[in-house]
Parts: sequence; structure tokens; C-alpha cells
Amino acid sequence: MDRETDSWFSPASPPPAWDPTQNQYRATEPAPYQYAAAPVVEPLYPYEPEQPYPYEPYPYEPEQEYEPEQGYEAEPATEKAAYEIPETPETGWSGAPSRRRRWIGRILLAGVLLIQGLLSLRLGNTAATDEAVSLIVGHQEFDHLFNGAAVTTDLVQQFPGSPSLYPVLAAAADAAYGLAGARLLSLLFALVGTALLYSLTRRMFNERVAICSAAAYAVLQSTAVVGYYAAPDALAIMLVALAAWIVVHSNRAPAAVVLAAAPVAALAVAVEHASVLVLPTLLLLAVLTAWPLPTRGLLRGFLLGAATLALLFVTGVLSGVRNGTFARGQGSESAFSVLTTAGQWSGLLLLLAFGGAVAYLWRERMNEVVDAAVVASSPLRRAALGLVLCGTGLLLPLLQAQLHTSEVMFRHIGLGLLFAAPLAGVGISRMMGAHFRQPQLGILAWVLMLALGISQSTLRFGTWPDSTRLVSVLRTHVSAEGHYLTEVEAVPQYYLRGVTGPDQWTSLRGQSASATASAIDKGRYDLILLDGASSTDKDKAVTEAIRASGRYRLIAQLPYRVSGGSGAYRVYVAE
Amino acid sequence: MIPVSAYRTGATPRRTLALLSLLSACLMLLTACGPTGGTSTADGATKPDSGASAGGETEAAEVTPYDVTPLLKPSKKYLGAALTGVPKSLKPLTKYTDTIGKQPNVLEYYAAWGDGFDTSGVRRVYNAGALPFMAWEPFKPSLASIASGKTDTYLKTFAKNVAALNLPIAISFGHEMNGDWYAWGRTKTTASDFVKAWRHIHDVFEEAGATNVIWVWTPNVINPAPNVKLKTYYPGDAYVDWAGMIGYYTLTGAKTFDTLYGPTMRQMRTFTKKPFFISETASQAGERRRADINDLFDGVTANKDVVGFVWFNIPKRADWRIEISPLALAEYKKRAANSRFGFDIRKQ
Repeated sequence: MDRETDSWFSPASPPPAWDPTQNQYRATEPAPYQYAAAPVVEPLYPYEPEQPYPYEPYPYEPEQEYEPEQGYEAEPATEKAAYEIPETPETGWSGAPSRRRRWIGRILLAGVLLIQGLLSLRLGNTAATDEAVSLIVGHQEFDHLFNGAAVTTDLVQQFPGSPSLYPVLAAAADAAYGLAGARLLSLLFALVGTALLYSLTRRMFNERVAICSAAAYAVLQSTAVVGYYAAPDALAIMLVALAAWIVVHSNRAPAAVVLAAAPVAALAVAVEHASVLVLPTLLLLAVLTAWPLPTRGLLRGFLLGAATLALLFVTGVLSGVRNGTFARGQGSESAFSVLTTAGQWSGLLLLLAFGGAVAYLWRERMNEVVDAAVVASSPLRRAALGLVLCGTGLLLPLLQAQLHTSEVMFRHIGLGLLFAAPLAGVGISRMMGAHFRQPQLGILAWVLMLALGISQSTLRFGTWPDSTRLVSVLRTHVSAEGHYLTEVEAVPQYYLRGVTGPDQWTSLRGQSASATASAIDKGRYDLILLDGASSTDKDKAVTEAIRASGRYRLIAQLPYRVSGGSGAYRVYVAE
Repeated sequence: MIPVSAYRTGATPRRTLALLSLLSACLMLLTACGPTGGTSTADGATKPDSGASAGGETEAAEVTPYDVTPLLKPSKKYLGAALTGVPKSLKPLTKYTDTIGKQPNVLEYYAAWGDGFDTSGVRRVYNAGALPFMAWEPFKPSLASIASGKTDTYLKTFAKNVAALNLPIAISFGHEMNGDWYAWGRTKTTASDFVKAWRHIHDVFEEAGATNVIWVWTPNVINPAPNVKLKTYYPGDAYVDWAGMIGYYTLTGAKTFDTLYGPTMRQMRTFTKKPFFISETASQAGERRRADINDLFDGVTANKDVVGFVWFNIPKRADWRIEISPLALAEYKKRAANSRFGFDIRKQ
């Protein structure tokens, strides 16, 4: 018996009957086994047969239309298959522009601008000499423009730009909200400048490079300082960035569109004469970003250069640049010292920019998106672009080294670094690698720049003494009639402008030691303010003249400490 | 297929590198955010402190220096006194004030070269509304030594303490230098050394920022030694605020303001226009005492360039105290009651 198939205990057949006469089981045909009927159970829910799952694969719709390579011809389908595999892209994501990508970029930019704002707003000190010059000139120009008053201050000669542009804006902000108002105006300009940098870098490269570039530029010492410094530099940087933005964004437009950048560039030079140094970069950028090369690019460069120069010439800004900012004498610092200082302020960013330039020359992109439509540019163009942008970053330090002074380099260096920043963004982006393989390297570079920016901007805002005590001492001894000799330029005039006029103050720098000694001997001044930080021959001669005259009494010696050392103000009043 | 071990081998140093990078970056950030040496970033918010209300002693570099210029030529006359025990205690001042009916507003005391600066005493006097006046007596070392800087350690410490106190104080160094009775007098040292010492002291005080000092150059009246030229002892207008003089009404000496102080003042006017201050005076007890007091008050009132006087109310060689002569005291009380004499220097 096959127990597997016909087992007695199998429910398929009943057990055989026992025959006692034969003492064996009956070999009769067994009766069919009757099972008790199973009770009927009503289902709680009506049973419905299983429906097929309505799966419909999401059709892939690339935002950029897929164009097969030339020569490729798909084989015609001979017959419809039972199922279809949807067409899949070669990469999991697209490099094409998208709304999501734009918004992520903007959110990150907002974060960068927030950090930049915080870095600037944490700085604080009383007005620096440059700020006081801007604001005094601005108040006088404001009165001249709106009330017809004469401009009497000779500080206008020291202002490194057109006195009727930035100073008027700053004076209006100062009149409304004080020095903080004028500084916040600079912060606004600086933030707009960084946003423009982001936008133009995005146009030249992509969002990732743009955000890296903006993040690197935003934490620089020069960016943090000019963002809270009542001087024309922040406005000039913003205008230069705007001109560059127009140049880059008009690269595929008709060549004449680049002319829109000419008035902006000319205005930047008028606002701050040092901006003239980056005009050649703007012209070269107009050439190198043009598509296609070369004739359109050359035409763009020519148009922009001719229009800007014409505007500068017609408005007289060019002569102001020639006779003012660049006609000043040389300093006494060694070129090595100037370059070392510049290296501390901009070395890391320039290093990243050089790295970025080399990487850019080596390979145009990281090829994260293999199917992206690549507009390949020639290595020559890439090399030229890298050279121009990095070279501009180096231009200001080299010029300052040639002039043997770093006095204003902290303000001007940002103009050049603005152009090196896109390549620094490329450098950071390449360091992190495709698909953010090494983000820690990018973070490390940025945090280093942030740390340096914080430290250096703090030190920079400590390079001039807090004048609160000085002004409080002077306030009790000045009036609208007195004549005052000062070695501290502009600062007392600014803070005491409600009591004294600028023409009541005579700058020690503006006259010879013998003339000063003679005037002191005759008691021409009601108050003399000396800055003990300097000990020139003129200082010694003036001090001797004060003692010899016997007309003046030292009423206050106010020691101060600054980042570079210490000194003391000395205030003498006529007896 | 890449074995799992290969991933592990590559991942460990990468993670370590990332960790180390972030750690070092954070450390650098913390370092950069920390205090920077010699950095001043006070946001113009350092509130100027007059020093007077603070009572001095705060760091001189953080407060506005006391401006003594209103005290140099005040509209009213100083009514001063030299009292035994002041400024260690102000009890003698209270008693003297009760005696003459008005509190003096200059209190002179004497300190030898080498003594420490009595910060508490000076503050005590100032808080009473009076100008502390220290007569600094260089018994030793010699003026030449002082001028050469041999005692500069002491001098600089003294000057720093004066500057730190930031309260007004009048200092008269080596008074009566034209006499021959002191160790720094004309027979013991030269006029040149006196001038050098004075200028050196003045310069050290200026260097320390002690502009709160009123410098009182104080010769004796020239009557005892009319041939000694005061100009040779004068350090210069740049070093002096008041041209002081010491002259007493004695029984045998000059008896009027003009004869007592006139010759000295006239000689001084040949080389300086500084205000006069009678640094010590008194009248010897006797029949003329009332008249002397009247003459003194009249003379000080009549001479606009005499800013005041100090009554030497200490028994020394003679008993100069005003309270020993009731009639003279009454006269003194009457004249001192005039509102032109005495004022609270804190309100000047």
C-alpha cells in the first residue's frame, strides 16, 4: 500500500470494515465516507476578489529635452512587449537649471549675507579719521546742495572720490541716525555687492561655485570692515560688482548691451577713485565672457572701454583721479611688509583662487552630470579668465607695495578680491569634489577664512583710538569763535560740528613747523591738540614752541591703546 | 564587487581627517573669537567719568582727567588754612571752621620728599569742598640728584598715584628756595639745580598724565634778601600755574600788604603774568593783629591777580593761631564772612 497516496488515515478514504468470520478486513468496496457538513460562517465583509495594483511608472520628463547623439538611430520596435521599462536617465539628477536649485541657492545666499551682516555689526569704535572726513565733507556738501552754503573745509582735498556722491548719502544717514546710520548704509551696499557676486558667479559657473564664492568673500576682513565703515568703498565695490554683473549677464546679448555697464563703472570710479584700477578687468571680462569669441568679445571690450573713458573724461572724474588719489607721495613701509600684510588679509582666498584657476584650466567642470549640455570653452579662454581674475586680486597689493604704504589697503583690497572670489569658489568646489565627496575640506577652508576675518576685522577696528574721552575734554573748551590747532585729523571736527565749524580747525599737517611755532608763540590758537602716537620732528618742534611760549597749559593727557601699540592725546589750552 | 574590508580601510582615515579638520577649524575659530591683545573696540560707549564723583582711584586711563583750569583763576578768592593734623583727619578743620565761621577752601599740608602720596587724605579734603595744597619739602636728597633722575622710581610712583586719584591738588615744591633756612635754600643749592629739579618733576608728572596738579612756585617774599633775583629760580610759565609767595606780618617786619608783598609781586611781574597766591601768611600776635588781618583781606581783595591766601594756623616759631586773639578772630570772622572769600571747589 502506498501510504503516501492511499493511506488509511488519509481523509480521502474511510477505514476498511473488520470481518470477524474471516478474521480479516473485508475486501468489499468501501462506502463513501461522509463528513459532517461544516457550519456556514457569514463573512464580516463581503469578499471581493483582489484587484490588480494600479501601478503606472512615473514617466521621466527631463527638463532639458534629451537629444540623442548624432548618428544614433533607435531600432524600431517590431512588436509591443508585454511590459515597458520607462526610459531612465544616466544620472539620478539633472544639472539643468531648476526652480528648486535656484531657491536652495537663494536660501544659502541669505545665510551667507546674514553671517556677513553679523561679522560687520559686531565691530565697533568711534569714528575713524576716514569716516570723519567723509561725514564732514558730506555735511558741507549737503548744505551746499540744499541750502547753498559754501564748502569751507579743506578736508575735501583728502576725500578719495567725488564729494557730492557718497558723502552726501552718508551725511543724510548720519543726520538721521548718527554714525551708526552711515555705517549701516555701507552695510547695505556691501550686502548687495555680495549678492551681485553670487549672481555673476552663478552665471559664469553654477550655484555651488557661486555660493562658495560668496561665502568666501563675505567673511574676508575687508568685506567685514568696509561693511561697517562710513567710507565710499562699500558703495564702490557694489557698483563695480554691478558693472561686472551686467558684463557677465550680457555675454550672449547683442554687443551694445554691454554699454549699460559703462555708466555704472564710471560711477564707481567717481565714488571711489581707486576703482579705476579694476576697469581693465571689467573690459577683459567683457571680452572673455562673450560668446562666441573673438570678434564679439573684442567689440564688447572696446565699446565698454570707450564709453567708460568718455564718461570719466566728460565728467572730469579722470582728472580728479590723476591729480588726487594717485598723485600722493610714497610711504615709508617696505614692499615686503606691505605684501606680507596683504598676504595675511587675502592670502587664503587668493590661494584658493589660484587652485580654482588651475583646476578650471585643467577641466572645465567636474562632470557630475554626464548628460548636461556642455558648452565647451577653449583652454586658452579658461586660462585667460583665470589669469585676469586672479591677477586682479593681486593688483591692489602689488600697487600698494610699489607705493610703500598699506594705509588704505584694508579698504581697497576688496575691490580686487571681488574678482578673485569666483575662482576661489571654483577652488572650494573642486576641493570638495564631485557629489560632495570631501565636504570637510571646503568647510575647513571656509572656517579658516572666517576665523581670520573675525580676528583681522576686530584688530582693524582697534587701530584707531576711541575718541570719547578726547571729545568730552574738548567739548568744555571749544566755542564757535575759537581757533584750534589739531594733529588729529577730522575726528574732533566731526564730533564737535554742532559747536565749531570746520574752518576753525587748523591741521598741523597742513603747515610747516616754523609757521606753526610762530603762530603758537603769538598765541593764535585757543586750543592745541597733539597726538602723542607720532613723534616727528614737527611734533617735537611744536611741543618746544608750546613750552617756550608759556601761553598754554596741558589740561589733559589721554593715553590710549590701539592694535598697533599705544599713544596719548595731549590737549593744551591757552591761559 | 569590492569587499567590505576595502571600504573600511578607506573610510577610517577619511573620517579621521574630517574630524581633525573640523576640530582644528573650531579651535581656530574659538581662538580668533577670543580677546585680542591690545585691541580697543569700545564702541564710543565708554562713559566719561568726571573722576570727581568717582572719588579718584579708578584707572586713570579710563576716566576723563580732572580739568583744573576753572580753579586757576576763579571769580572768588581762595580762603585757605594750614592746620595741624590735616589731612590725616578733618576734625581740626571742623574746629577751625567753627572758630572762623567759614570753612576754608584750601587746606595746606606738608610732605617730605620720600613720603608717600596721601591719597585718602587728599580725597578727604576734596570731599570737604577744599583744594588740597601739598608743600613738598626736599630735605634729602639734593635737588641735583632729583634733577638727574636718581629718585625717579619714587617720583614716578608718586606721579602715577596723583594721576590715578584724578582730583585737583596744588603742589609747591621746595618753597622759600630763595631763603637760606632750608636744606634746598639758596646757600645749599643753586638756582639752576632748583629749576632743573622743578622741570624734571613737572615733566614726570605730565608723562604720568597728572594734569590735575596746580603747580605753585613759592619763593619767600624778597624783603629778607632783596638782592636774590627770583627770575633765576623761576622754571618758566610752561611749568607754573600760580606764582606763590610766603610772607608773614611780624612785629618787626613789613606792616602793610604793599610793603610786605608789593616788592615781590612787582619783581615777579617782570618775568611772569601768572596769578599770585599767598601760600603762607599769618600775623604775629600783638596789638597790630587786627589791622594786619584787615590789611591782608583788603590787599587780596584789591589785587585782582591775587587769587587767595593760606592762613598758617600752626604754632611754629611763633603762635600764629587766630583763635588766641579774640579781637583779631572777630575781625577775621567778619572779613571771611564776605561772599568773595571761599567757595566750594567742587562746584567751580
